[in-house]
Amino acid sequence: MGEDIKNNKKADINRTKHNNDKIPFEENNYTHNIRKAGERRLDRRGFMKTMVGAAGIFAVSTLPWGALAVKELSGLGSKSHPKQKLANANDLKIGEAIEFAYPGEHDAALLVRLGENEYKAYQNACTHLKCPVFWSKEEGRLVCPCHHGFFDVKTGKPTAGPPQRPLPEVVLSKEQGAIYATGVKRYET
Amino acid sequence: MKRSYRGVILLCFVLLLNIICTQQAVNSYFYERYERVVLFAVLNIVLFPIAIWIYFRERDVK
Repeated sequence: MGEDIKNNKKADINRTKHNNDKIPFEENNYTHNIRKAGERRLDRRGFMKTMVGAAGIFAVSTLPWGALAVKELSGLGSKSHPKQKLANANDLKIGEAIEFAYPGEHDAALLVRLGENEYKAYQNACTHLKCPVFWSKEEGRLVCPCHHGFFDVKTGKPTAGPPQRPLPEVVLSKEQGAIYATGVKRYET
Repeated sequence: MKRSYRGVILLCFVLLLNIICTQQAVNSYFYERYERVVLFAVLNIVLFPIAIWIYFRERDVK
Protein backbone atom coordinates (compact mmCIF):
# COMPACT_ATOMS: atom_id res chain seq x y z
CA MET A 1 0.00 0.00 0.00
CA GLY A 2 2.66 2.54 1.07
CA GLU A 3 4.63 1.86 -2.09
CA ASP A 4 1.55 2.62 -4.25
CA ILE A 5 0.91 6.03 -2.67
CA LYS A 6 4.53 6.93 -3.15
CA ASN A 7 4.39 5.96 -6.84
CA ASN A 8 1.18 7.92 -7.37
CA LYS A 9 2.72 11.06 -5.88
CA LYS A 10 5.67 10.61 -8.22
CA ALA A 11 3.33 10.30 -11.18
CA ASP A 12 1.51 13.49 -10.11
CA ILE A 13 4.71 15.44 -10.16
CA ASN A 14 5.81 14.05 -13.51
CA ARG A 15 2.51 14.69 -15.27
CA THR A 16 2.38 17.70 -17.55
CA LYS A 17 -0.34 20.27 -16.93
CA HIS A 18 -3.67 19.65 -18.60
CA ASN A 19 -6.87 21.61 -18.77
CA ASN A 20 -8.61 18.95 -16.74
CA ASP A 21 -6.28 19.48 -13.81
CA LYS A 22 -8.25 22.59 -12.96
CA ILE A 23 -11.82 21.69 -12.10
CA PRO A 24 -13.83 23.42 -13.41
CA PHE A 25 -11.41 24.03 -16.22
CA GLU A 26 -11.48 27.24 -18.12
CA GLU A 27 -13.13 27.22 -21.46
CA ASN A 28 -14.01 30.13 -23.61
CA ASN A 29 -16.14 28.02 -25.94
CA TYR A 30 -17.86 24.65 -25.85
CA THR A 31 -16.35 23.17 -28.99
CA HIS A 32 -14.13 20.54 -27.38
CA ASN A 33 -16.45 17.75 -28.64
CA ILE A 34 -16.24 18.85 -32.26
CA ARG A 35 -13.62 16.98 -34.21
CA LYS A 36 -13.93 18.04 -37.83
CA ALA A 37 -12.46 21.34 -38.89
CA GLY A 38 -15.25 23.83 -39.48
CA GLU A 39 -17.87 21.34 -38.32
CA ARG A 40 -20.08 23.98 -36.84
CA ARG A 41 -19.97 26.21 -39.87
CA LEU A 42 -22.52 26.05 -42.65
CA ASP A 43 -21.35 28.56 -45.18
CA ARG A 44 -23.27 29.98 -48.10
CA ARG A 45 -21.75 27.58 -50.62
CA GLY A 46 -22.34 24.52 -48.45
CA PHE A 47 -25.95 25.53 -47.98
CA MET A 48 -26.39 25.93 -51.73
CA LYS A 49 -24.89 22.49 -52.31
CA THR A 50 -27.37 21.02 -49.80
CA MET A 51 -30.26 22.65 -51.65
CA VAL A 52 -29.09 21.23 -54.99
CA GLY A 53 -28.81 17.79 -53.41
CA ALA A 54 -32.31 18.09 -52.00
CA ALA A 55 -33.62 19.08 -55.44
CA GLY A 56 -32.00 15.93 -56.83
CA ILE A 57 -33.61 13.78 -54.16
CA PHE A 58 -37.02 15.28 -54.92
CA ALA A 59 -36.51 14.66 -58.63
CA VAL A 60 -35.62 11.01 -58.05
CA SER A 61 -38.44 10.52 -55.54
CA THR A 62 -41.13 11.40 -58.09
CA LEU A 63 -39.76 8.93 -60.66
CA PRO A 64 -41.72 5.90 -59.32
CA TRP A 65 -44.98 7.89 -59.35
CA GLY A 66 -44.30 9.04 -62.89
CA ALA A 67 -43.47 5.51 -63.98
CA LEU A 68 -46.67 4.13 -62.42
CA ALA A 69 -48.71 6.89 -64.08
CA VAL A 70 -47.15 6.13 -67.48
CA LYS A 71 -47.93 2.45 -66.91
CA GLU A 72 -51.57 3.33 -66.20
CA LEU A 73 -51.80 5.65 -69.20
CA SER A 74 -50.31 3.10 -71.57
CA GLY A 75 -52.83 0.52 -70.35
CA LEU A 76 -50.24 -2.03 -69.31
CA GLY A 77 -51.88 -2.56 -65.94
CA SER A 78 -55.43 -3.19 -67.12
CA LYS A 79 -56.42 -6.59 -68.41
CA SER A 80 -58.61 -6.81 -71.44
CA HIS A 81 -61.44 -9.30 -71.60
CA PRO A 82 -63.44 -10.42 -74.61
CA LYS A 83 -66.81 -8.83 -75.19
CA GLN A 84 -69.72 -10.98 -74.07
CA LYS A 85 -73.42 -10.61 -74.77
CA LEU A 86 -75.43 -10.74 -71.55
CA ALA A 87 -79.06 -10.15 -72.49
CA ASN A 88 -81.37 -8.34 -74.82
CA ALA A 89 -82.20 -4.97 -73.31
CA ASN A 90 -85.93 -5.58 -73.30
CA ASP A 91 -85.81 -9.11 -71.89
CA LEU A 92 -84.85 -7.72 -68.51
CA LYS A 93 -87.57 -5.74 -66.72
CA ILE A 94 -86.77 -2.68 -64.63
CA GLY A 95 -85.87 -3.79 -61.12
CA GLU A 96 -84.95 -7.30 -62.24
CA ALA A 97 -81.57 -8.94 -62.24
CA ILE A 98 -79.90 -11.86 -63.99
CA GLU A 99 -76.79 -13.79 -63.19
CA PHE A 100 -74.04 -14.42 -65.66
CA ALA A 101 -70.38 -15.44 -65.62
CA TYR A 102 -67.75 -12.97 -66.72
CA PRO A 103 -64.91 -12.93 -67.65
CA GLY A 104 -64.23 -16.58 -66.75
CA GLU A 105 -66.84 -19.28 -66.50
CA HIS A 106 -66.41 -19.40 -62.69
CA ASP A 107 -66.56 -15.62 -62.15
CA ALA A 108 -70.19 -15.19 -61.20
CA ALA A 109 -71.65 -11.76 -61.85
CA LEU A 110 -74.94 -9.96 -61.54
CA LEU A 111 -76.66 -7.63 -64.02
CA VAL A 112 -79.31 -5.32 -62.56
CA ARG A 113 -81.62 -3.06 -64.57
CA LEU A 114 -82.29 0.02 -62.44
CA GLY A 115 -84.05 2.24 -64.91
CA GLU A 116 -85.07 2.60 -68.53
CA ASN A 117 -81.48 2.98 -69.62
CA GLU A 118 -79.67 2.27 -66.40
CA TYR A 119 -77.86 -1.03 -66.08
CA LYS A 120 -75.32 -2.01 -63.49
CA ALA A 121 -73.27 -5.18 -63.27
CA TYR A 122 -70.97 -6.44 -60.55
CA GLN A 123 -69.01 -9.55 -59.91
CA ASN A 124 -71.14 -10.91 -57.16
CA ALA A 125 -68.65 -12.72 -54.95
CA CYS A 126 -68.97 -10.88 -51.65
CA THR A 127 -65.75 -9.06 -50.78
CA HIS A 128 -65.98 -10.47 -47.28
CA LEU A 129 -65.89 -14.24 -47.72
CA LYS A 130 -66.89 -14.77 -51.36
CA CYS A 131 -70.53 -15.75 -50.74
CA PRO A 132 -72.72 -15.00 -53.76
CA VAL A 133 -74.38 -11.62 -53.41
CA PHE A 134 -77.93 -11.30 -54.76
CA TRP A 135 -80.15 -8.43 -55.80
CA SER A 136 -83.00 -7.68 -53.43
CA LYS A 137 -85.67 -5.80 -55.33
CA GLU A 138 -87.68 -5.09 -52.16
CA GLU A 139 -84.75 -3.55 -50.33
CA GLY A 140 -83.24 -1.98 -53.43
CA ARG A 141 -79.73 -3.12 -52.62
CA LEU A 142 -77.37 -6.00 -53.08
CA VAL A 143 -77.46 -8.46 -50.20
CA CYS A 144 -74.98 -11.03 -49.03
CA PRO A 145 -76.98 -13.59 -47.03
CA CYS A 146 -74.03 -15.21 -45.26
CA HIS A 147 -73.23 -12.41 -42.80
CA HIS A 148 -75.78 -9.74 -43.77
CA GLY A 149 -73.52 -7.67 -45.91
CA PHE A 150 -75.15 -4.98 -48.00
CA PHE A 151 -73.90 -3.15 -51.08
CA ASP A 152 -75.10 0.00 -52.78
CA VAL A 153 -76.34 -1.02 -56.21
CA LYS A 154 -75.32 2.28 -57.86
CA THR A 155 -71.67 2.20 -56.83
CA GLY A 156 -71.01 -1.31 -55.54
CA LYS A 157 -69.73 0.12 -52.26
CA PRO A 158 -70.52 -1.74 -49.04
CA THR A 159 -73.13 0.00 -46.90
CA ALA A 160 -73.47 -2.37 -43.95
CA GLY A 161 -72.19 -5.63 -42.56
CA PRO A 162 -68.71 -7.12 -42.62
CA PRO A 163 -67.56 -6.35 -46.21
CA GLN A 164 -65.17 -3.41 -46.42
CA ARG A 165 -64.36 -3.28 -50.14
CA PRO A 166 -66.63 -2.50 -53.09
CA LEU A 167 -67.73 -5.18 -55.53
CA PRO A 168 -65.73 -5.08 -58.77
CA GLU A 169 -67.90 -3.45 -61.40
CA VAL A 170 -68.36 -5.02 -64.81
CA VAL A 171 -68.17 -2.44 -67.60
CA LEU A 172 -71.24 -2.58 -69.84
CA SER A 173 -72.08 -1.29 -73.24
CA LYS A 174 -75.42 -1.23 -75.04
CA GLU A 175 -75.43 -2.01 -78.72
CA GLN A 176 -78.41 -2.65 -80.94
CA GLY A 177 -80.77 -3.48 -78.11
CA ALA A 178 -78.43 -5.85 -76.34
CA ILE A 179 -76.25 -5.48 -73.26
CA TYR A 180 -72.60 -6.46 -73.56
CA ALA A 181 -69.95 -6.86 -70.90
CA THR A 182 -66.68 -5.34 -72.10
CA GLY A 183 -64.42 -5.37 -69.09
CA VAL A 184 -64.04 -5.50 -65.33
CA LYS A 185 -62.96 -2.55 -63.22
CA ARG A 186 -60.00 -3.11 -60.97
CA TYR A 187 -60.60 -4.85 -57.68
CA GLU A 188 -59.77 -2.38 -54.96
CA THR A 189 -57.85 -3.91 -52.12
CA MET B 1 -17.68 40.87 -45.86
CA LYS B 2 -20.70 41.49 -48.00
CA ARG B 3 -22.07 38.42 -49.74
CA SER B 4 -24.67 37.90 -52.44
CA TYR B 5 -27.50 35.76 -51.10
CA ARG B 6 -29.35 35.70 -54.39
CA GLY B 7 -28.33 32.07 -55.06
CA VAL B 8 -29.50 30.97 -51.63
CA ILE B 9 -32.88 32.61 -52.15
CA LEU B 10 -33.27 31.22 -55.67
CA LEU B 11 -32.37 27.70 -54.54
CA CYS B 12 -34.82 27.96 -51.64
CA PHE B 13 -37.47 28.88 -54.19
CA VAL B 14 -36.51 25.91 -56.38
CA LEU B 15 -36.84 23.62 -53.39
CA LEU B 16 -40.26 25.08 -52.61
CA LEU B 17 -41.33 24.32 -56.19
CA ASN B 18 -39.92 20.80 -55.76
CA ILE B 19 -42.05 20.24 -52.67
CA ILE B 20 -45.16 21.56 -54.43
CA CYS B 21 -44.56 19.39 -57.51
CA THR B 22 -44.00 16.25 -55.44
CA GLN B 23 -47.14 16.90 -53.43
CA GLN B 24 -49.20 17.54 -56.56
CA ALA B 25 -47.85 14.43 -58.30
CA VAL B 26 -48.66 12.14 -55.39
CA ASN B 27 -52.11 13.64 -54.87
CA SER B 28 -52.94 13.40 -58.58
CA TYR B 29 -51.92 9.76 -58.49
CA PHE B 30 -54.36 9.17 -55.65
CA TYR B 31 -57.15 10.82 -57.65
CA GLU B 32 -56.13 8.77 -60.73
CA ARG B 33 -55.32 11.83 -62.84
CA TYR B 34 -52.29 10.30 -64.44
CA GLU B 35 -51.54 13.06 -66.99
CA ARG B 36 -51.05 15.46 -64.10
CA VAL B 37 -48.78 12.95 -62.34
CA VAL B 38 -46.53 12.74 -65.40
CA LEU B 39 -46.56 16.53 -65.78
CA PHE B 40 -45.46 17.18 -62.20
CA ALA B 41 -42.92 14.34 -62.20
CA VAL B 42 -41.30 15.83 -65.32
CA LEU B 43 -41.38 19.32 -63.77
CA ASN B 44 -39.67 17.95 -60.68
CA ILE B 45 -36.94 16.33 -62.76
CA VAL B 46 -36.45 19.52 -64.81
CA LEU B 47 -36.03 21.53 -61.60
CA PHE B 48 -32.88 19.57 -60.69
CA PRO B 49 -30.71 20.76 -63.61
CA ILE B 50 -32.07 24.25 -63.00
CA ALA B 51 -30.86 24.00 -59.39
CA ILE B 52 -27.41 22.86 -60.57
CA TRP B 53 -27.29 25.71 -63.05
CA ILE B 54 -28.19 28.25 -60.37
CA TYR B 55 -25.54 26.77 -58.08
CA PHE B 56 -22.74 27.02 -60.64
CA ARG B 57 -23.80 30.52 -61.58
CA GLU B 58 -23.97 31.81 -58.02
CA ARG B 59 -21.14 29.77 -56.50
CA ASP B 60 -18.34 32.24 -57.11
CA VAL B 61 -20.35 35.41 -56.80
CA LYS B 62 -18.91 37.53 -54.04
